[in-house]
Amino acid sequence: MRDPSWLIAFAIGLLLLALLPTWVDSYNLTVLRDALIFGLFAASLDFFWGRTGILCFGHSVFFGLGAYIMALVSMTPDIPLPSLLGLLAGITGAGLLAGAVGYFLFFGGVRGSYFTIVTLALSVIAQQVAVSWSSVTGGDTGLIGIPPLMFGGLDLSGDVASYFTVVALLATVLLGLWALSRGRWGRILTAISDNEMRAAALGHNAALRLTMTFVISASTAALAGALYVAMAGLVAPDLIGLLLATEVIVWVAVGGRGTLIGPVVGAVLVQRAQQEISSFNPSLWPLIIGCVFVLIVFLLPEGVLSIGTRIRALFRRGAA
Amino acid sequence: MEVAATTLLNALTLISILALVGLGLTISFGLMNVTNLAHGEFVAIGAFSVYYIQSLGGSFWLGLMVAPLAGAAAGFILEWLILRHLYDRPVGAILATWGISLILQQSLELIFGLGAKPVVPPVDGVSDLGLITYPTYRLILISIAATTLLAVLLLLRRTGFGLDIRTVIQNREMAEAVGINTRRAFAVAFAFGAAVAGLAGALVSPLATVLPQMGVNYLANSFFVVIVGGAGSITGLLAGSSFVGGFTSILNYQISPSLAQALVLTAAIVLVRLRPNGFVPVGSRFS
Repeated sequence: MRDPSWLIAFAIGLLLLALLPTWVDSYNLTVLRDALIFGLFAASLDFFWGRTGILCFGHSVFFGLGAYIMALVSMTPDIPLPSLLGLLAGITGAGLLAGAVGYFLFFGGVRGSYFTIVTLALSVIAQQVAVSWSSVTGGDTGLIGIPPLMFGGLDLSGDVASYFTVVALLATVLLGLWALSRGRWGRILTAISDNEMRAAALGHNAALRLTMTFVISASTAALAGALYVAMAGLVAPDLIGLLLATEVIVWVAVGGRGTLIGPVVGAVLVQRAQQEISSFNPSLWPLIIGCVFVLIVFLLPEGVLSIGTRIRALFRRGAA
Repeated sequence: MEVAATTLLNALTLISILALVGLGLTISFGLMNVTNLAHGEFVAIGAFSVYYIQSLGGSFWLGLMVAPLAGAAAGFILEWLILRHLYDRPVGAILATWGISLILQQSLELIFGLGAKPVVPPVDGVSDLGLITYPTYRLILISIAATTLLAVLLLLRRTGFGLDIRTVIQNREMAEAVGINTRRAFAVAFAFGAAVAGLAGALVSPLATVLPQMGVNYLANSFFVVIVGGAGSITGLLAGSSFVGGFTSILNYQISPSLAQALVLTAAIVLVRLRPNGFVPVGSRFS
C-alpha cells in the first residue's frame, strides 16, 4: 500500500475507534476491545509473515507465553507494579524464545516450509505443556483471578478506560511497525525475501535480520497476550494452542497480508462472524474456517481488502 | 535387562508407525517441495476405516485391507482437486491443506459422532520371547510395518517407476528434460504415500484413541522425522524415525509424555542447526 493511503486509512480508523464509545454500549465496547487485542496479535504475525514471506504456524505460542507470564507475575503476592512487571516479563520471555528459535533455525539455513512446520510443532507441544504442567499453569482449567491493569495509582480496569488503553497501544504499535517496515529495515527484508543470496552479497546478514524481525513480531504478540489476560482476568491453554495459531493466520489472510491494518480489520470481522455462527451451531465453525482457508488460497490470495483494488482496476479498464 | 528389551520393542513399535506415516511426507516434500498438512487425516481415515468395517461385523484384517484403499482415494482426490494447482505456491499449499485437514476432521465427526471409537485388536494376549513377554499384536504390527517398508524400498530401487521417482527427487528439471512426466509421477506417489499413512492408521487403531483429531500428533511427529532425517530418502526416513521414536520411547520411561515431546522437539531444532539437510541429505551416497 502506498504511504499516503496507508496513513489516511490509519487516521480514519483511529478516529472511528475514538468516537465509537459515544454511541456503543459498554458490553459491545468490551467485545470490540477484546477483538482489537486479537487484531494487535494479527498485526504482529503480519509484520513477520507479510514482510519476509515466511509463515509462522505457531504464533499463538508467543501470545500464550505472554499471557501465562503476565498471569503468573501479576498474581505473585506483594510484587511492586504487578501490571508493568508482568507486561515486561511476558514481552521479554517471548522475545527470548523467539530469539532462540530464530538462532537455531534461521542461522541453520532453515527457511520456508521447514520453518512453518517447526513452529506448528511448537504450538502443539506448548499446548500439551500448558495442559500437563498443572502445578504452574493450572492445567486444563487454567488460572483465574488475574488482576486488571494498574500502573501505580492509575486504574485502567474500567470498560471505557481499558478500551482506550487498547486503542492507544494498538495505534502506537501499528505506527511503529509501519515505520519500521517502510524504512530501511523493511526494504532490507524485501530484498532478503526476493533474493537472499544477493542481499547477503550486498553485506546484509540475512539470518540476523530475520531473527530480529521474528523477535519483534513475537514480542508484539506477547504484548497482545498479556493485555488480553489482564482484561479477561483468566488464562487457559486455548490461548497457546494450535487453534488460535490457525485463526490468527485466517485473520491476516482475510485482511490482506503485508498491510498491517488489514489483519486488524480481518480479526474484528472474522471474530464477529464466529460469534454469529457459533451462536446457532458451535461445531460448524471449524468446518467454515477450513473452507475459508481453501477459498482464500484460490480466490483471494491478497485478502478481502483487495476486492476494492480489483473493482477499481475493473472500472479503470472499462473506462479506458 | 527386561526393561531394556521392552523399551527396545516399544521403540520399534513407535519407529514403525512414524516411518509409515513419514513416508508420504518425505515423498511430497522431496518430490514437489509440497507441505501437506492434511497428511495426519489419512492416518485418521485409516483408523476410522477399521472401526467402520468392524462396526459392520467385518474382521480387523478386512479393515486393514480397506484402510490403505481409503487413504489412497483421499490422497488422489486431494492431489487432483487442490495440490496440483499449487505446486508453485508453497504457502498456498500449506494453507489449503490445513483447510482440508479441518474440513476432513469435522466431516469425520459429523459422520461418526463425537467421542473415541473402539477398535478390537485381531489377537489378544502376549507372546513369550524367552527373555520377556510382549503383546502379540504389537509384534504383528512391527512385522507388517517392516515388510511394507522393505517393499517400498524394493519398489524405489528395483522398478522403472522407482527410478523415475528417484530422478525427480534428485533434479526435477532434469527429470522433465529426459521425458519423465513429473506431475503424473507425483500424483501416483502422493496417493501411494496416503495409502501407507492409511495403513499406519489402521495398524495403530487398536492401540490409540481413535478420534477425528488424532492426526495432528502424528503429523507433528512425522514432520520431525522428515526434518531430522532429511527429505526425500528412505534411509533418511529410517534414521529420522529411529531418532524421534527411540528418543521418545526412552524418555517416556522417565518423564511425562508431553515433556518428552518438548525435549524431542528441542533436540530436533538443535539438530537442524548442526545438520541443516538432515542426517541423510538428498544426493548423498545413501539417499
